[in-house]
Amino acid sequence: MKLYEYQAKEIFAREGIRIPRGKLSRTPEEVVETSSSLGYPVMLKSQVLEGGRGKAGLIRCAGSPEEAQRVAEELFQSKHKVKQILVEQAIDIRQEFYLAFTVESLEAKALLLASSEGGMEIEEIASRMPEKIQRVLIDLDKGFMPFHARTVLYEWGIGGELGKQVSGVLEALWRVFRKMDAELVEINPLFVTTEGEVIAGDGKFSIDDNSMFRHREYEPGPDYFETSTAYAAYKEGIPYLQFDGEISLMCAGAGLTTTVYDLIHDEGGTVANYLEFGGPNYRKAMRAMELCLQNKPRVVLIVSFGTIARADVMAEGIAEAASKLKPDCPIITCIRGTGEEKAQEILRNAGLAPLFDTEEAVRQAVACCKGGTA
Amino acid sequence: MSILIDRTVRVLVQGITGAEGTFWTKHMMGIGTRVVAGVTPGKGGQTVEGIPVFHTLRQALREHPADASLLFVPPRLTKDAVFEALDEGIQKIVTVADGIPLHESVQIRRAARSSNARLIGGNTSGVISPGKAMMGMFPYWIERVYKPGTIGVLTRSGSLTNEITAMIVQGGFGVSTLVGVGGDAVPGTRFSELLPDFQNDSETQALVIIGELGGTMEEEVADAMEARIFTKPVVAFLGGRTAPEGKRMGHAGAIVTGGKGSVAGKIAALERAGALVARRPSALGPLLQEALEKGMK
Repeated sequence: MKLYEYQAKEIFAREGIRIPRGKLSRTPEEVVETSSSLGYPVMLKSQVLEGGRGKAGLIRCAGSPEEAQRVAEELFQSKHKVKQILVEQAIDIRQEFYLAFTVESLEAKALLLASSEGGMEIEEIASRMPEKIQRVLIDLDKGFMPFHARTVLYEWGIGGELGKQVSGVLEALWRVFRKMDAELVEINPLFVTTEGEVIAGDGKFSIDDNSMFRHREYEPGPDYFETSTAYAAYKEGIPYLQFDGEISLMCAGAGLTTTVYDLIHDEGGTVANYLEFGGPNYRKAMRAMELCLQNKPRVVLIVSFGTIARADVMAEGIAEAASKLKPDCPIITCIRGTGEEKAQEILRNAGLAPLFDTEEAVRQAVACCKGGTA
Repeated sequence: MSILIDRTVRVLVQGITGAEGTFWTKHMMGIGTRVVAGVTPGKGGQTVEGIPVFHTLRQALREHPADASLLFVPPRLTKDAVFEALDEGIQKIVTVADGIPLHESVQIRRAARSSNARLIGGNTSGVISPGKAMMGMFPYWIERVYKPGTIGVLTRSGSLTNEITAMIVQGGFGVSTLVGVGGDAVPGTRFSELLPDFQNDSETQALVIIGELGGTMEEEVADAMEARIFTKPVVAFLGGRTAPEGKRMGHAGAIVTGGKGSVAGKIAALERAGALVARRPSALGPLLQEALEKGMK
């Protein structure tokens, strides 16, 4: 679960990390009002979840109310679906650092990544000059200790007041990482101002999905999702991905679904959405199909090979959904696994011509889109 | 000989009284697994499928020595249950739970390593040696999916596994041992850590790797092949070749993996190391045939 920059910064500030003065704004008028109260120049930072905002022109500077108005209008109308802009005071910077905590799955520890050369080119630096990135592994049970900070700071060659401030940020960021069950916390850049203050210039934050039950206050609202269908699926607890193609996928299991996606692509077809019909959702055929049909697909393709998710239960649900929802596109089924013989019978009785081979099911689905029949 | 599980391994089931625990205990015994006791706090004294249930591992082990424990324990309680098993000296643990909090899965792998224990999972169907025994959830009674044979299988996926094992059987082969390491970001045991077992397993002639996008486990297999740690024929199938790149988040991921993790990169690494990579499920059987013939030469 990714958080927006403004949310990350709120969390940082709560833990004592300094952030620029600023305010979230939802309209060009609000942006101008906030800008004028902060004093120009200001930074207008689009609150979207994708990375590379700087390079995409989603972070801009404004030196006057007129400019703030014009830039805000541009950002709100851009194709990036910007709904909120974080307006911040512009900062005179002397230096930019990079700090991140994430998990390292091989060693099973937390990993601190730190560089005294932060900024937009950090990945470039990591690949060309890996020695410029300090990597420190931290045992979760032992926690972050003063020597971890020293290990970084002595590599950077900084001490004194600046060193103390950066240590403070590291300790606070560690607390945030642990408390919030983060899979990633990143400050890039961490500014050093011309006055020698250390301020978080940006914040990337991702809470582990499996830990969201401990962080309900960050439950996403409708704005977070690309479509209302995606939001509805989220509310039902059904994993869902929105695409914009023709075949609606109601499949069980991420591995099988990505394979079906690959096969569709190979055959020249396109995918409208992926809806997870496996796990605890295999009894939700009606709701699942309802959501899939909202995309107005050319065909609904249902593929599963379940163990716990019983094929016969799925088949019953699909037969019922098909008779009640009366979809105006073909439904192609390929349901195997526990209870598969009974499933075949149920689907045949419902007039759904069940298939038994994934590749054949994909071929038929793509043929439907190209004007053929199932 | 098989890997991790056979008919001599004495298995405890933690969480045996739950619906899944009970259902799969019955089937584990059905295939021939030696289930000796169950544990559910508060349910001691009951029996499930004729298996005695205890409140704690200590109480269970006092009467029923065991070699392995299978956990049907909810994800939020898994860390506690795993640590209980480790502290009581269990050396083989399989946890099927889907949804273990990330930081806890890190602590679980760490703890298992410090105890020199083998922990498989979470988010897995488990381990099966068809025709012998299993710890986990497999529809072993569907013979076109789980036929005994000479092909070892390592997988990260549940749903895709049935699809691919069906193709192994369709190709005229069967499975020696299948280990599902699970789909979590931090699995207790990684692909490469199981390769020595398959290398030494006289029943395994070739290995099928079922991979996915993300992480570096497939690249680690390629490294082990290049280093001649694993020398048997390998055929791989990877889901997610054409998946649109997920919306990226921060730079740390790219810095940590150094650009690894894409399916294209994984295919290239595996092929460079001498593995054959199937582009579609139905190609798997013929490629296994080819790999085995090449291996004979």
